[in-house]
Amino acid sequence: MQYRQVRVIAGRFRAALRGVAVDKGGHIYAAGDSEIKVFDAEGALARNWPTAKPALSVAVAPDGSVYAGEPGQIEIFDTAGKLIDGWRDEKLLGFVTAIGFTNDSVLAGDVGGRAVRRFDRHGKLLNTIGKDNPVNGLLICNGVVSFAVDAQGVIHAANPGKHRVEQYASDGRLLGHIGRFDGVDPAGFTGCCNPTNVAVGDCLYTTEKAGPRVKAYDFSGKLLTIVAEDAFDANCKNMSIAVDSSGRLYVADTVKLAIFVFEEVAA
Amino acid sequence: MSWNRQARLLAAALVLLGCLFLCVSRAPAQAVPYQRPVDTAPQPGAIGGGYKTPDVQKPLPRAYWLQVLDVGLLAAALGVSVWLVLKRRNRKWLVALTAGSLAYFGFYREGCICPIGSIQNVTVALTDPRYSIPMVVTATFVLPLVVALFFGRAFCGGVCALGAIQELVVLKPIRVPRRLDQALGLLKYAYLGLAILFAIRPALARDFLICRFDPFVGFFRREGAPHMLLIGGAFLAAGMFIGRPYCRYLCPYGALLSWCTRLARRGVTITPDKELDCGLCTGACPYGAIERMRAVRPNCFYCARCYAYCPRDGELARAKPSLVQLPGAPS
Amino acid sequence: MSEDLTRRALLGNVARGTVLLTLAGGAGFLIRKANGQVVWQVDAARCLNSRLGEVNVEACSLCTSACVVALSAVRAVNEYSKCGRCNVCPAYFNITSAVDEHGLPSEKLCPRDAITRKAIGKVDPEDPANNFYEYAIDEDKCDGCGKCVMKCKEPLGLGSITLRIRYDKCVNCNRCAIATACPQSALLQLPVEQAIRPPEVRRLGL
Repeated sequence: MQYRQVRVIAGRFRAALRGVAVDKGGHIYAAGDSEIKVFDAEGALARNWPTAKPALSVAVAPDGSVYAGEPGQIEIFDTAGKLIDGWRDEKLLGFVTAIGFTNDSVLAGDVGGRAVRRFDRHGKLLNTIGKDNPVNGLLICNGVVSFAVDAQGVIHAANPGKHRVEQYASDGRLLGHIGRFDGVDPAGFTGCCNPTNVAVGDCLYTTEKAGPRVKAYDFSGKLLTIVAEDAFDANCKNMSIAVDSSGRLYVADTVKLAIFVFEEVAA
Repeated sequence: MSWNRQARLLAAALVLLGCLFLCVSRAPAQAVPYQRPVDTAPQPGAIGGGYKTPDVQKPLPRAYWLQVLDVGLLAAALGVSVWLVLKRRNRKWLVALTAGSLAYFGFYREGCICPIGSIQNVTVALTDPRYSIPMVVTATFVLPLVVALFFGRAFCGGVCALGAIQELVVLKPIRVPRRLDQALGLLKYAYLGLAILFAIRPALARDFLICRFDPFVGFFRREGAPHMLLIGGAFLAAGMFIGRPYCRYLCPYGALLSWCTRLARRGVTITPDKELDCGLCTGACPYGAIERMRAVRPNCFYCARCYAYCPRDGELARAKPSLVQLPGAPS
Repeated sequence: MSEDLTRRALLGNVARGTVLLTLAGGAGFLIRKANGQVVWQVDAARCLNSRLGEVNVEACSLCTSACVVALSAVRAVNEYSKCGRCNVCPAYFNITSAVDEHGLPSEKLCPRDAITRKAIGKVDPEDPANNFYEYAIDEDKCDGCGKCVMKCKEPLGLGSITLRIRYDKCVNCNRCAIATACPQSALLQLPVEQAIRPPEVRRLGL
């Protein structure tokens, strides 16, 4: 299983590039500075609109609306970029660094509470996932909660302090975990707190800092391949990652402020 | 005026002019910009279990009152030195004071802060508006000069740690020929000028020569670079036979002290109406500070050897008379 | 003759008085500017070990070798409130060493074994990876070599360990030998209150 770099979308952000998502049509959504930018599959800018606060993450709901995670709130826009709704809660939505969807609810990562919050479509809190579960819960020294929801509705949350990706059910039960620390073997996660971000497609993708790299694992925890190692700036941290339906990967380089697109090479 | 006097005046004038001319230099900005850090570290509330973040130790430098105490001790030692040499004329107690100064200002305080080095601090404070000199350093600079203005180089006698360590190794001092002595004496003006020149430079290029080339600080700290320890050892070895070579030929503070001493009313005196013309004092002085039976006050280091050897005034004078049997005389 | 003497005495007094006034004036001027003691401190934003940018670089140990004091007055200090308290600390462990049976690196990084690791907070008895750990540096053992500082630096760590001058060990030379040797000009003279404040290390933003 080999990947090659297809495209780089660069020069679009001034100060920060924090989140990346992709919709069913292959459009790339990027959250950075204080705006959301939408690119088409070739990398040309299609739309962009500002957010009220610095945009930390972005996700596209199954119905096409765009959710932007910000400090203390989530803003919901339609596909054209018009603001439809906003959920504000300083306690429950400390720093929303990841947003995901199950079939009936919206999941938001809360850095302040070190947890994943599950809301219904109207913004009412249903339950909290990952908090102190067990004991100390998500150990996120990088200041980012990252998770992804797979086709079965299982939430794969990165727990970098433990060097694991943990699987939770949407009611909060811990189902299992994969991954271990290893500073020598590339199959393990190195450094103090890795992986920083995760994405889920046919397999599990992780991004790491300090020796930034993107890896692909199967759901039992076996390393499938190292997608990319040398493409990123050495000082990258918290590289957001997204997968589209065809298995293409979109990784945000937080120092070069560019989106790298990787495609699997047919063997 | 003799040629070396002219040379000395010229050197002094040049140094003064140089100081005035370079007074306008300004040090460059040292501002360092910081970015606000994003705080992602876990807080005690998140860690739980009653955990409280421990305080990071912040050790403070030497307490201020101790620094003031040092200045007080300096003043006291100066006073005692003046009293012992000019009033009591007692060399024994002066040696005790010298040893005490060496122990405290030398080995305990490790030679810092000293009036010799304070020349540089004062220079920087006068020329760099960004540098503010602590009061204790100003006091350390001014006190021995004020005492020298009235009583002579009492500082050199019992107080200066560098002088003390050389004073205590004087073994068999030779007479340095006057011309050579005066020529070498010009070196201290050059050293003073260089020290001021390097201290005036902007902050990052500044160099404190007096501190860097202090030959005895390695002994005071009981450690140092091998070459500096060797040089210090060489000075001490030379000091056994030449008599305080650093003080006589290199000490930049000595240049300032000798200028102040010239104006002093009191000081080590060889009173013309009492002296016997025996020459014992001249032979006793290891530093060549007695010429033609008169004390050359700018060079006098307040060691009180002349008083000790004087048959009218010192030990000989105070010694109990005892009969000496001359050979061949009837008993 | 007596006139000559009194004139000389008068001149002497005038000269002494003038010099005294100059000294007093100079001292007064300097005292008015006096601002307390200045001490040397390491600027964390310039020090090669703690500033952002260089990764995978050998730690700079000039602070250890240049200081005139036998055991350098520079020590690594962990600012606890900024420490991530991670299970696997890259400053404590040598993370390039092989993993032992507990899942942790087998070697420690500090050549003088000056860092201690202690579980804190709510301790999970079954899973040691599930805990916060406090890392404390023993200042009697640390010699300021900077290896842990380089590893704690972002992005690998959070940059909570920096090299600081400890004033109970520093002689406070006029001419700091480390300041002269440092190729980054990372040592500054600051008033004591400023020098003991925790460093504001540049951090990579979110």
